[in-house]
Amino acid sequence: MTQALVDAIADMREEEALNLARTALDGGTPPLEVLDDCRQAMSLVGERFAAGECFVPELIMAGEMLREISALVKPLLAGSAEAGAPKLGKIVMGTVQGDIHDIGKDIVYFMLDVNGFAVTDLGVDVPIETFVEKVREIQPDVVALSGFLTLSYDSMKNTIQALVEAGLRDRVKVMIGGGAVDEQIRAFAGADAYGADAMAAVALAKTWTEAS
Amino acid sequence: MATNVSGTALAGLDAGKPPEQAFGERLNRIFTAYALQKPDRIPVLLPTGHFLAQWGGVTRQELTENPDKEIELLERAALEFEPDAIAGLTNHPGAALALGDLMTKWPGNGLGPEGSFQFVEHEFMKAEDYDAFIEDTSDWAIRSYLPRAFTELEGLAQLPPLGMAAFGTYAWFNLGLALTAPPVTSALHALSAAAEAQVVTDARIREGVGRLQALGYPSIPIPPLAPIVEAPFDFMSDTLHGMRGIMLDVLRRPDNLLAAEERVLKFQLEFAIDYTNVTGLKTVFIPLHRGSDGFMSLAQFERFYWPQLKALIVGLTEHDILPLVFYEGIWDKRLDYLAALPRGKTLGWFQFSDIFKVKQVVGNTMAIIGGMRNSLLQAGTVEEVRDTTRKVCQVVGEGGGS
Repeated sequence: MTQALVDAIADMREEEALNLARTALDGGTPPLEVLDDCRQAMSLVGERFAAGECFVPELIMAGEMLREISALVKPLLAGSAEAGAPKLGKIVMGTVQGDIHDIGKDIVYFMLDVNGFAVTDLGVDVPIETFVEKVREIQPDVVALSGFLTLSYDSMKNTIQALVEAGLRDRVKVMIGGGAVDEQIRAFAGADAYGADAMAAVALAKTWTEAS
Repeated sequence: MATNVSGTALAGLDAGKPPEQAFGERLNRIFTAYALQKPDRIPVLLPTGHFLAQWGGVTRQELTENPDKEIELLERAALEFEPDAIAGLTNHPGAALALGDLMTKWPGNGLGPEGSFQFVEHEFMKAEDYDAFIEDTSDWAIRSYLPRAFTELEGLAQLPPLGMAAFGTYAWFNLGLALTAPPVTSALHALSAAAEAQVVTDARIREGVGRLQALGYPSIPIPPLAPIVEAPFDFMSDTLHGMRGIMLDVLRRPDNLLAAEERVLKFQLEFAIDYTNVTGLKTVFIPLHRGSDGFMSLAQFERFYWPQLKALIVGLTEHDILPLVFYEGIWDKRLDYLAALPRGKTLGWFQFSDIFKVKQVVGNTMAIIGGMRNSLLQAGTVEEVRDTTRKVCQVVGEGGGS
């Protein structure tokens, strides 16, 4: 591990991080090791976000650095399978039908991902049938529904109802979140839990996957 | 759906009063609260939004595209709920559709008939555009921004530099050549079509406001009645550079961002002052987006968001303009900043902040609107809604100013 690279990423020194990654790769450091440093740095950024020490600019910048370094690493990875860390559990997530807001969803994705979950992001304005199909196909432990608009209340309720009708509801835990969502909407929609922020989403997912 | 500050059951309270008298009393009630005084009762504002569709049994698309229906439902809602002021949809799609606006999606246009009007952020402005934006904002806006953001205005990219286009007879010879190019002509026609659509919309809005007034109900001064200005940071994020772009700029090119915000502050103030002078309606609406808790650190807020927003708000109040500021999201950690705004000169409409804390911290600074969560109104029982309403009225209404 190169502590300097981990620190440069976590401390948002973009140019330095890219130079360090480039130098390491040129000097023969195995590409997977560089990726592992990135993963560690991301996890550090996630911890700082959870602690209220960094915010959205840093999350976006961290994602940007990861993208840039991955682009450097990718050509060198041909042939060697990426040794991904074993995942804690599978999560299917998306912003519900009729709503195209993605900021909160993307933050939750980032935090679940750096905390070791295999997350499938279905995007925004996700049709109810798509949730049902993907839950059937991926067989996740958790379904996470995001929504910002008031109309998302009904979409959440209908999505969960569709899971019930498809006979899939008792195989998954469902969490909901988003700007206008609260405990009252959890009861209204029939979800298992409501999370106020991305850290709550991680805590819920951990509880549920550890229990199962 | 919108929230409202609701008093106890009001139905019939103004029964039998002539509409002119009820109208005057309602307006007086509202302005008394705005001035942080105690009105005879807490004014109820009812911004209906898409609620009207559900309530009136039409699709959101029909509500958005059929002003007759909207006015009819607004009249019915006013008579049934008897608010002190009411407002309908804030947006109509005519002009946006004529221009090929890439920033908005409408019920029935980009969304299903039951979709809700939404903005789509793009990076119409790239990081490398900062110099041009700061150097000559208007030229960049017309020849670079408009062609990117509106499909029907692509031809404007073929205009000569605007300085070239305006000065003297020779310049007009040159400009004439450019104006005859089919893509430019087509863009000018699109602008004209958008203006025509807007004329129709504006006429219907005025008609609606008039009909509501005839029934005794004032209209809430939110768009399209009142102009919108934004926190300069939000302006850069919402319409120009997108949230991803702007958040990276906070870390990558803070000086460019700050310089651009200065430009935005200057022309927004100029716009709002001119607009309110011409219309005589001394109110502007300021919806806030990225300043709420969670988006940035307090240090970032103090550098990139608050000073520019405060300058905008204070600048407006110095010209006797009343800013109706919509504090979207949660502002619980930032209320102390708000307490420094000029007393009794601004309105604070709070979406999800802790309304009791809001009262505590800014109750002596601004009139407060809010406290009724959408989730409660949709999913709560009648009893829960009554209890919350009572508590909000008792605590937040204490002493007036709400």
